[in-house]
Amino acid sequence: MPSRITLLLCSALWLLLLGGVSPHAFADTFVFTAIPDEDEARLRQRFDKVAAYLSRELGVESKYIPVKSYAAAVTAFRNDQVQLAWFGGLSGVRARTLVPGAEAIAQGYEDQAFLTYFIAHASTGLKSSQTFPKDLAGKTFTFGSKGSTSGRLMPEFYVRQNFMKAPDDVFTKVGFSGNHAKTIALVQSGAYQVGAVNFKAWENALQSGKIDLAKVSIIWTTPPYPDYQWTIRGDVDKRWKTGFKQRVTDVLLNMKDPDLLASFPRKSFIPAKNADYQPILDVAKQIKLID
Amino acid sequence: MAAVPSNAAPTTPRYSPVVKTSVGFVAAAAVCLAFADISITTLDPWLEMKRMAWGAVTPDFGAVAGLGMVVLRTIAFALCGVALGAVAGFLLSQIFHLGPVRWMCASVRAIHELFWALIFLQMLGLSPLTGVLAIAIPYAGICAKVYAETLEEAQLPALRTLPKGTGILSAFFFARLPDVWVHIKNYTSYRFECGLRSSAVLGFIGLPTLGFHLETAFSEGNYSEAAALMILFYLLIATLRYWMRPKLVGFYVLIAPFLLGSGAAINMSNIVRFLTVDIVPAPLREGGLLAGQTWRNLGDWSGTLLMDQALPGMVATLLLTQIALVVTGVLALALFPLISEKFFGPVVRTLGHVFLVVLRSTPEFILAYVFLQLWGPSMLPAIVALSLHNGAIIGHLVGRFSDEVRLRPDSPRGINLYGFEIVPRVYGQFLAFLFYRWEVIMRETAILGILGIATLGFFVDSALADIRLDRAMFLIAVMVVFNVAVDSLSRYIRGRLHLSTRAGQA
Amino acid sequence: MLFRLSNENLGYDGTPVLRDISLTVSAGERVALVGESGAGKSTLLSVLQNRYDGNTALIPQDPGLVRSLSVFHNVYMGSLHRHSAAYNLLNLVWPRQSEIARIRPIVERLGLGEKLFEPAGALSGGQQQRTAICRAILQGGDAVLGDEPVSAADNHQSRAILAALSDTFKTIILAMHDVDLALEFSTRIIGIKGGCIALDAPAHAVTRSDLDFLYRD
Repeated sequence: MPSRITLLLCSALWLLLLGGVSPHAFADTFVFTAIPDEDEARLRQRFDKVAAYLSRELGVESKYIPVKSYAAAVTAFRNDQVQLAWFGGLSGVRARTLVPGAEAIAQGYEDQAFLTYFIAHASTGLKSSQTFPKDLAGKTFTFGSKGSTSGRLMPEFYVRQNFMKAPDDVFTKVGFSGNHAKTIALVQSGAYQVGAVNFKAWENALQSGKIDLAKVSIIWTTPPYPDYQWTIRGDVDKRWKTGFKQRVTDVLLNMKDPDLLASFPRKSFIPAKNADYQPILDVAKQIKLID
Repeated sequence: MAAVPSNAAPTTPRYSPVVKTSVGFVAAAAVCLAFADISITTLDPWLEMKRMAWGAVTPDFGAVAGLGMVVLRTIAFALCGVALGAVAGFLLSQIFHLGPVRWMCASVRAIHELFWALIFLQMLGLSPLTGVLAIAIPYAGICAKVYAETLEEAQLPALRTLPKGTGILSAFFFARLPDVWVHIKNYTSYRFECGLRSSAVLGFIGLPTLGFHLETAFSEGNYSEAAALMILFYLLIATLRYWMRPKLVGFYVLIAPFLLGSGAAINMSNIVRFLTVDIVPAPLREGGLLAGQTWRNLGDWSGTLLMDQALPGMVATLLLTQIALVVTGVLALALFPLISEKFFGPVVRTLGHVFLVVLRSTPEFILAYVFLQLWGPSMLPAIVALSLHNGAIIGHLVGRFSDEVRLRPDSPRGINLYGFEIVPRVYGQFLAFLFYRWEVIMRETAILGILGIATLGFFVDSALADIRLDRAMFLIAVMVVFNVAVDSLSRYIRGRLHLSTRAGQA
Repeated sequence: MLFRLSNENLGYDGTPVLRDISLTVSAGERVALVGESGAGKSTLLSVLQNRYDGNTALIPQDPGLVRSLSVFHNVYMGSLHRHSAAYNLLNLVWPRQSEIARIRPIVERLGLGEKLFEPAGALSGGQQQRTAICRAILQGGDAVLGDEPVSAADNHQSRAILAALSDTFKTIILAMHDVDLALEFSTRIIGIKGGCIALDAPAHAVTRSDLDFLYRD
């Protein structure tokens, strides 16, 4: 019998607690995230190292929090729960549209001219070609994440441009694998006949021996476009101290540790600005991913 | 009209409404099946299945760092969410007779926990409160309904003996509550088991519960790690009655908030922005409210959403729900003998119980996720996942019910016993359970949209991925209307067929 | 004059069980209602209970207990109207010594002392009946209305129960099936048959055989 009243009292008491425990946990920690474009274990390994590097170089405790979706990364940035993020082209454009004052501060050397590979299962008989392979029509096709630049935006753009139709009308089935690693796995297993994948993720997977070229191969490469970048919130100078944004930029650009760079994998980081991503915004508007 | 001799037997059998309804549902499912895509698209589903099976027999408990904490968090989220939901539901049950309250409860429970979590992610970010509210809000709606029904059905002879002038509060706590308390307690502990499943599944979208690591393990193909996590989860549920003691509930609930872990800070301005800007349909946000053009744009906006997304989503939801409902029924009828004293001895029954417990403890979301990996994207993984999970639940209830049937000493055995004695007797109860699950199955089809099956949930998930929260909310509203409609239809059919059960069980 | 009915039809949902009933009961009377089961005794009792504005205690035939609460709590319910809600809830969770002291002698007098903290649902029918009587005694008031309150008690117990009721209530109206006991205990006998009051006389003027006609077809 007493348990029922205890239950009631406790519930009331801890309602107050719930509010008290959670907030301000990271009040003075510089928090960043990254779009989950690859296996989480890899991302964690990479960005925990980045966090240690930032903490050391900035003298401010830095922390990486993993998220489960591209949208969650953008939302966390928008809601000021992270102040810095490693975004793709599309997620970066979205984030900067939603957060006035946010700036792209650094990109990988390779991100100036990023590529998407269209890959196909061997059973399709599709061969590598210089021109857009129109015989894709009627196959099953998987994108990566719904919010990905290399796995969704650019491939969808080229599909629409070449067929003048929505992907749903071009392919017999359209899926979203979730990330690049899964896109490769799904096409390699034959679950989908064709897929679109980030060229860096492909090279990574190839190096670590996860790709069987007898089963899956590249059939077309998109023209280059700008992609990944570090984006920072405009209000960090107010929160830490003036010049913080510049210091973060410098620290990122000065990242020289070959292991760290290789984990991205990028040759180096170079300066970036919002205007670099205008082409992405235009494409996104054109295919109505952004209003 | 020619007079028919009263003792002439009709030449054709006449079927009862129950049978006709069943046949109707099976026929509808068959029609749906013709329109549904149920192909297996992976070229070699067995390869991955072999790897999964190997993982299942070689669980790796060391793979997840801080496994203990993960389990504690899973429990803590369930405890906080269910406690909050039960208390709120209890308060709401007192005013459940008011129309608006009933509709509000029906609406909040029409939205699955996962979608609540996605909504709160927008407002609160990855804060523990997101997970707690995601469980608490729909559970409050469900509890309010069940508590109100329980209180309504209760026989309360003590009420009329109360001295005149007894206060409402005293009357409630002395004469009304105590005798229904045991039902409320049982139902709430059943909800807690559901809460554990919900809590685990919330990890799939980023909360720090078992699902977080399960998602990672599954998507990276670390099946030994996934097996370890699933085994832990089964143990958690199987041992529930040993550690969830009534005397300890207060203590658990008190410490649970401290185990939720820390998360991102909650910012009031995000909540305000979500409610006042984000979810306002784009045409209203951009145009003047007085301009005619704004409202024409709004018409186009909602028309396009309805035709291009809501409608195809509803069709897919309906197809999937109807097929899954019938397969669930068939499975339940096939599975219940496994745990029935009428058919098997203790050994088979024990194995049957373990089998059903495992099936029903595995959240349908996780089942669908696994089958999707195995067979590739189509409705097949969704149908199988929904049917297995729900079939095991109903099979369990029907099996228990069948034990209460009294047989004559010379009753037939085996398949004749099943067909002539048991099934006819449990069929009404079985249908009642099944119709109760109808609404639940429909709600579950929505979350499978997150996995890429093009139900309404898929379009909601897409809108959220595009951070188009106005569209997401619009589609969620459609989902609510659709769900409430099915719930009403199910209640109507149950009423017509005179089926009744205690809602708490199904 | 505590209760008064004049030329009334009594019944449930518009179907009268008793017709054209006129009846007055004055303070200090001990009335026994007798008649076959189904004659309308319960109907009459509940009408009297509902009509009366002052405080009367009721002992229904189904003892009206909360099965999951203890004997103490069920008896305590007779005093709910005297205390604030907060005090009542406190006693629900954690019975006060002062309340236990008040209730213990009542319960002991009817032989339920050992059962004080047993749930009512675990008691025998007779014990439940006595719990309901204890509740009525604690409640007190101008009158007690009882529907077969001693149906499950033996002769000895019945006398003890009726004595306990007489000590608390000046006015008592009981439906009774044991005619001898009714004659012994009451000051006035009301016999019901065929939907009417067939007999209404002082108890000392009635013998057992005078009542036999009530139970014949």
